[in-house]
Amino acid sequence: MPQIPLTIISGFLGTGKTSLLTHLLTQAGPENGGRRITAMVNDFGALNIDAELIAAKHGNQISLANGCVCCSIGDDLMRSFMEVMQQTPLPDHIIIEASGVAEPSRIAGFAAVDRQLRLDSIVTLVDASAHNVHSKDPYLADNYAKQIEAAHLLLISKPDLADAATLENLEKELATQKPDVPMAQVTHGALPINLVLGLNGDHEIPQPQEIIDHGFVQWAGHLNDMPRAALIAKLEKLRPHVLRAKGVLQDGEGGYVLHLAGGLITTAPYAGEASGHFVIIGKPQMPDAAALERIFRQNEAA
Amino acid sequence: MNPHLPHATHIAVRDGHILGVGTADDIDGWQEAWGPLTLNTDFAERSLLPGFIEGHSHMMEGMFWDYHYVGYYDREGPDGTVWPGLKSIDEVVGKLKEIQAARKDKDTPLIAWGFDPIYFTDRRMNAADLDSVATNCSVIVLHASLHILNANNFVMEAADVKSSDNSEFIRRDESGQATGEFLGQLGYYMAMRTTGINLLAIASSPETLVNFANVARQTGVTTATDLVNPIPAGSEHAMREAVDAEDFPMRLVVAFQGNTMEPTEGVARMQELQASNSDKLRFSLVKMVADGSIQGFSARLKWPHYYNGAPNGLWYIEPERLGDYLKAFTEAGIQVHVHTNGDECTEVALDKIEEALRAHPWPDHRHTLQHCQMATRAHFKRMKALGVGVNLFSNHLYYWGDAHINITMGPERAARLDDAGGALAEGVPLAIHSDAPVTALAPLFTAWCAVNRLSSGGVTLGNGTQNISVKEALYAITMGAAYSLKMENEIGSLEAGKRADIAILAEDPIDVGAEGLKDISVIGTMVGGHVHLNQGREG
Ligand SMILES: [Zn+2]
Repeated sequence: MPQIPLTIISGFLGTGKTSLLTHLLTQAGPENGGRRITAMVNDFGALNIDAELIAAKHGNQISLANGCVCCSIGDDLMRSFMEVMQQTPLPDHIIIEASGVAEPSRIAGFAAVDRQLRLDSIVTLVDASAHNVHSKDPYLADNYAKQIEAAHLLLISKPDLADAATLENLEKELATQKPDVPMAQVTHGALPINLVLGLNGDHEIPQPQEIIDHGFVQWAGHLNDMPRAALIAKLEKLRPHVLRAKGVLQDGEGGYVLHLAGGLITTAPYAGEASGHFVIIGKPQMPDAAALERIFRQNEAA
Repeated sequence: MNPHLPHATHIAVRDGHILGVGTADDIDGWQEAWGPLTLNTDFAERSLLPGFIEGHSHMMEGMFWDYHYVGYYDREGPDGTVWPGLKSIDEVVGKLKEIQAARKDKDTPLIAWGFDPIYFTDRRMNAADLDSVATNCSVIVLHASLHILNANNFVMEAADVKSSDNSEFIRRDESGQATGEFLGQLGYYMAMRTTGINLLAIASSPETLVNFANVARQTGVTTATDLVNPIPAGSEHAMREAVDAEDFPMRLVVAFQGNTMEPTEGVARMQELQASNSDKLRFSLVKMVADGSIQGFSARLKWPHYYNGAPNGLWYIEPERLGDYLKAFTEAGIQVHVHTNGDECTEVALDKIEEALRAHPWPDHRHTLQHCQMATRAHFKRMKALGVGVNLFSNHLYYWGDAHINITMGPERAARLDDAGGALAEGVPLAIHSDAPVTALAPLFTAWCAVNRLSSGGVTLGNGTQNISVKEALYAITMGAAYSLKMENEIGSLEAGKRADIAILAEDPIDVGAEGLKDISVIGTMVGGHVHLNQGREG
């Protein structure tokens, strides 16, 4: 009997779980292997799926045109699992968007006792801008630590809202706590579906260990007065290998925010004081961090 | 419970309401305007009290009666059959054998409920016990706590527990053998998935409702709550059909499960539901669940946490989201009851209620903390200041009091468990409850628990300041609960103009006193002027 992989997206309220889930669901088409995902979510209303992708909506269930289904957990995870596991046909993959106070390892227990399920991974989002608050929350700090402890993939969300020193400290802290777990920054949940799903047990997709071994390349640094045209030209060359890039930057024309997501480069004006922080995450084929350092430091101040 | 007239000899009823209470002469006076009244002396030797109000129970109580009761105490089924308490594991097994022998279809699952191992200290029930009942079908015994179930080897083989090494949800003996006990939510899930039986399916079928009402009615209840229901779209119509029927023997208040939708949608849904309230069926409040249970080690406790060193419990909702819901419902003028068991959770709930009230001031909101078992005097003071009421889980004192002294809380903190005396001393509006089906639904028993604070092991919890008087307890199960539901203007006392909801008892609880409170025989009830008698009760 084939086992259905279960991915648990964990993280505090407001860390971007719903954005990540939305991205995963919209990418679930045939171009990415055509998984029929059933997503179990806490707050239905926050799900921001394009209207044209929604095929039907009834009760606590939304069906998407690409074969995915979202259902709300309500109060009772056990009842939700019973319902999902009675669907015909069964889904190809189950994603749970855990509540902000859930202990993901407890949810993983369902995969341990159900022979039709297997745990794919626990993905924990950590909000870069709120880490210092969350980790010291008088009521929730124990929960927070458990969520990080259980993670197979750590995603640092809202990196753009944290200053460079905070971000660096956070990355160091997490790397010390979970040295074997891959880590990536993510903004608005924009990550490739094949990076998040199938981390464990699906052989066409890299295993977590391989992601580390093969680099899962990331480079971050400060770019002072990098003209946007020059930066875009550099990114164009790297683009096939880039998962995600983001910078809050400054050049002669003023402040701007640059995104590279889903292969698309966009810029928007930035009104505040630009930090100059820039981060790029890429597939193993991307030049390594040392090479990226050279590439991005060239012509820095044009 | 009418302060102007605490005792009377006669009561007159018209059109489902109380026309008057007083002496025969007082009542006579009504006849000029209302025509002749007939004197009914059926209950002349009985004691009439305001109908009891169960402020925290669950409709699920009605569902379990599809299964077989094997609890320690006598319990009366919806059809009036008394299921005698079973005083040993052998008696439980004997009863199950009897049931199996009488069943027509012997291959369908045999399911029993209400089993409580705390009364059997010599040994635990095991798979061999249940194999002696049947080996060719699932035999499942649900514990009263709903945290553990026992199964026979038929179920264990289907679940393939041998190959599983996880002992968090399968109890094993010293030699590593699975004993047949499935533990916690995952144990239940495993048993349900492998047998294909959904033991805990939400049931709001008319039969469940009628069963629930009949169980409640036999204990003198005239209004009960279903204190958390997702009320899926349209389900209210089926409920209405059942409850509004003239022979349905109870009023029902259904609490909407707040977190099933976003706050704004929840407000809209509540407004829609409230527009359809009837005399007997009310959708008047929202329930939010914020933590787990003390005996399940999932209640959120303040430092130093659990007495046995277990890690602190679980939040069932983000405190921030609880705050969002409280703000939205407070702004819309919708009352919220919050389930809090541990003292840390109580504190957070009070913080969030205070925030909501600062944003949307609302005198007489009457938000209520449910269970609220570990509240301190400081919490009660804050509740008083904020206008928050409490509905304490007094039955816990009896059922889990010993466990709280020895395992979960330790003797010092167990003394303040469900501190009804403290709540009244600090001026907090008080109700007390059973949380049926978690414990037996019987307000006189709940009152007895709050008055005597005696555990099943015979230990008294506290130093006396936490006890309440018989009168205070009777108030809590009538006016206190009515007030918590914002229904004190229509039920909870016997006085002219109120609904004719009456509990008919064999004896006067004040005469009987503290000790015998739980043993008073309930003769029947009157709901909106309709009399419902218990079978074969002579008291
Ligand atoms: Zn309850």
